[in-house]
Amino acid sequence: MSSQGNHNNQCNHNKQHGTYKVSSCKRKKIKEILGVDLNNKPEAQAIDLDKITSPNREQRAHGTNIYYGKASELLKDAVNQEVTMDERKFQQSGGCVLNFYLAVRVSTIRDAVVIFNAPVGCSSSALGYRELFRGVPEALGRPAQYKLNWMTTNLQQDDVVYGAGEKLRETIIEAQKRYEPKAIFILTSCTTGIIGEDIEGVVDDIQPEIDATIVPVHCEGVRSRLVQTGYDAFWHAVLKYLVKEPEKKQKDLVNVASMLSYTWQDRLEIERLLGKLGLRVNFIPEFATVEQFEKLSEAAVTAPICPTYTDYLSRGLEEKFGVPYFLYPSPTGFENTDGWLREIGKYTGKEKEVEELIKEERAKWEPKLNSIKQEFLNISNARKNGERLQVLGALGQGRLVSQMPYFDELGLDTPAAMAQDFDELIIDELADIIERNGDFNIMVNTFQAAEQANVTSSLKPDLTLTCPFQGGSWKRDTQVTRIHSLRGDPAPESAQSGYSGAVAFGEFLLRAFQNKSYQKTLSEKTQPAYQDWWYEQDDPLYFLDKQSDENKGVSK
Amino acid sequence: MAENYEKIRDEIFNLDQTIDPKIDSQEEHSVEAPRYGCALAGVYGTVLGLKNAVPILHSGAGCGVGNLFGTLYAGGESCGVNEGGTATPCSCLVEEHVILGGEEKLDNLIDSTIKLFNSNFYVVISGCVPSLIGDDVDSVVENYQSEHPIIHVNAPGFKAHSLEGYNLFWDAVIESDLLEQQPVEKGTINILGVVPYNHVFWKGDLYELKKLFASIGVKANVIFADGDGLQNIRDIPKAEYNIVLNPWVGVRAAERLHEKFGTPFITFPGIPVGAKQTSSLLYRVAEKLSLDPDTVNTFITQKEEWFYRFAEYPGDALILARPNQYFAVVADSAYAISYTKFLTNEIGYLPDIVQITDNPPVEVRQKIIDEINNSLESTIKPDIVFEADTYKIRNNLNNRPFAFLLSSSLEQPTALEEWGACHVSASFPIYGSSVLVNHYGGYYGGLTLLEDVVTTFVGPL
Repeated sequence: MSSQGNHNNQCNHNKQHGTYKVSSCKRKKIKEILGVDLNNKPEAQAIDLDKITSPNREQRAHGTNIYYGKASELLKDAVNQEVTMDERKFQQSGGCVLNFYLAVRVSTIRDAVVIFNAPVGCSSSALGYRELFRGVPEALGRPAQYKLNWMTTNLQQDDVVYGAGEKLRETIIEAQKRYEPKAIFILTSCTTGIIGEDIEGVVDDIQPEIDATIVPVHCEGVRSRLVQTGYDAFWHAVLKYLVKEPEKKQKDLVNVASMLSYTWQDRLEIERLLGKLGLRVNFIPEFATVEQFEKLSEAAVTAPICPTYTDYLSRGLEEKFGVPYFLYPSPTGFENTDGWLREIGKYTGKEKEVEELIKEERAKWEPKLNSIKQEFLNISNARKNGERLQVLGALGQGRLVSQMPYFDELGLDTPAAMAQDFDELIIDELADIIERNGDFNIMVNTFQAAEQANVTSSLKPDLTLTCPFQGGSWKRDTQVTRIHSLRGDPAPESAQSGYSGAVAFGEFLLRAFQNKSYQKTLSEKTQPAYQDWWYEQDDPLYFLDKQSDENKGVSK
Repeated sequence: MAENYEKIRDEIFNLDQTIDPKIDSQEEHSVEAPRYGCALAGVYGTVLGLKNAVPILHSGAGCGVGNLFGTLYAGGESCGVNEGGTATPCSCLVEEHVILGGEEKLDNLIDSTIKLFNSNFYVVISGCVPSLIGDDVDSVVENYQSEHPIIHVNAPGFKAHSLEGYNLFWDAVIESDLLEQQPVEKGTINILGVVPYNHVFWKGDLYELKKLFASIGVKANVIFADGDGLQNIRDIPKAEYNIVLNPWVGVRAAERLHEKFGTPFITFPGIPVGAKQTSSLLYRVAEKLSLDPDTVNTFITQKEEWFYRFAEYPGDALILARPNQYFAVVADSAYAISYTKFLTNEIGYLPDIVQITDNPPVEVRQKIIDEINNSLESTIKPDIVFEADTYKIRNNLNNRPFAFLLSSSLEQPTALEEWGACHVSASFPIYGSSVLVNHYGGYYGGLTLLEDVVTTFVGPL
């Protein structure tokens, strides 16, 4: 991505919550540059909590999990509702609505029980539940005592043939008796979906006998190609069953959706910054208590750390309880953190304090970020005749839009960006980035290791950022490091959020340039995952099933 | 004598528990966190244990990545390497396949996988969805069988659990054309019953076993984590004997190999841990293969000398700090038997309770109990319980005298506060240790287990 001029500060970031996240001034500019009229973008659908679950992301936001090409083209398609989702002839196990987007997250909710209404395998990804967060020292705020509980209905052949309603009922009773939880989440599976289990029937029938609030979540793996449907389905159930009418509004409470890919240190940084403003953070869903969900309605604002993860919850809390929200920016990088704090300041009456805080934080951290930037420059001078270093890697579409400007702050180029999926919910953010940084290639796939290996091999970035779960595609003769750490990681170096996180992550990226022996040696000493021809041809979507879009897969 | 002592013990420890040993039925109820995956998971882990083999999942899109967490990470923090986790080919079935069928998608997937991967063996594993919608997977796979080594294992998650998945894999291999009758090679054996990932120390155990057998002149085909997987499988009919190291897993494969190729087999209750069990296995195999007794005797004598010399070093720690300790074991049948025997018969510890977590078939349960009880040198015998439900497993551990707990890493963080026990992560799942070569099998492995047990409590004396 070539740098198409610096971010234009004259075009005020006067973002409004809700429909438009970029100012009218910027919309005009985007129309001039790209010929895309954001005023025509599709409206977000209202949330209907009378339904048993959310719509799929396919229906709700015309999402796709397959694209490779110019970001500006994708943007145009999205505005015109022409994004398609073709079938792949070759596909890898990138995850379903239940696994791992929900299974490993919902099972971290405290004083609750998760019931996987499924055969025994669908819950095995949650087997780490008793060890999660144990590595966080109590001194960093981890409670000494906590229990995470889950059960599986362990569906057998007979249950599949004769129905499993009675078994679910018994399991709910057993869960109440055993754990005395405040909430019982029921996660559904491919099997219960296909055999047509009436989950709501069981829940309605048994709820009066059960103290815990029962929260059925429709996350049948087969329901959607887009794993983000799992987020929406989960938030739908939370909004429908768990969030209570506010007893009192808490003007100093900020809802923040914490995620698998944000570490304990990210929490601490967010708490530190908002604490300086006299605000408290309500982190949900990971490692939250049931009460924290119940009180979501009392917060002053819902703030994102990933816009599309939080989207459904944010809209729902506003529609049902009048809790305002914003979806952009997330607190990644200095400028985005400034913007994130300013948005929160607006909803909490802390505008003045926010400006003070930004000044203070920048004074403290900016010199450190500048040293990192200088070091990247030194490396590019030494190795590439001053040409900017190129970094490749992204994860969720939310991370894509929040991380690219941050890389720019570090003086790094991003020749292409990868996102697990793409949908209309980030039209504004994508437009904003293209306007700020110029056009770039975007690859959309949900953990498709072969496609990523192909793109990485043809673009030859100086630094590849990989998520922990991508097979052998990281074995290379260049710098490779992780794109993020995970929730239970308490190490200060693993932070990415806010100002201290931006510095920590920058330093971490610099480290990748200090030693590449592991990935280099293994690329020499072990067999590559795929045959040579795959790396030699330049179409990552070589196995796109072009016949399929007539009757299959089109997301409209 | 034991009864009198047990009475005194029970009074002092307030031990008043009658636990249902559950000998009569397999677990089919709702449970908390059972220590196994589904049938698909078992086949999947087994195929990933074979070098150069690629599993092809005909299933929903989460079955591979789910098992990255639930099988591979759980099996000693292993990543998916080239073929596992998010790299695993998968038909990623969704609603439209449920309506229109998933066969075309699978056909495309097999074709592209063969073109793309550097591999020589493909195993199509069907999960819940194709089974529920009635895909004719065998027909799709058959089209490729003349050109490529490819088999289909039907393994819907509601059909069976992961240990049984290992058996299903062998059913499919033995029914296929992969195996051909060949002249028997004297002095060769196959090792069955060690399940990749579910037996977390599989890589190190098999490495150790291969070396041990080589030392007495036996060529052991350990199949997994050693050389080319397909070649190992093709070599199976050459063996003079099949050796099953498990009371039930792999037994059916040995029986079917006997029917098809006439290969005789013996079963040994688990991977042998420490000198007594290892020597016993070596003698049994030597006898069956009619090996030269002098060679075998010389080797075993030499190994035992070495083993017991080393076993003496922690003597002060064991006798001064923690002699005659009660211990509890929570593990699958094979590991449970071997660990219980080792701690009881080699270091004088006292078996308190053994909980067997792999939900074995009802018909082998009494045999497992007898295998443990009839081999212990202690006067007291443990309570032996078949339990898959982690909630009940934890409850069964309450109010007991044990001071050491060998179990999964699920108990590791809280073993001391909940039960006052020193903990060794010794059975599935183990998230809390990186397991590459570490193992408790054989002479060397027995000393490693001794090390790990003593390490939990030693400090300056």
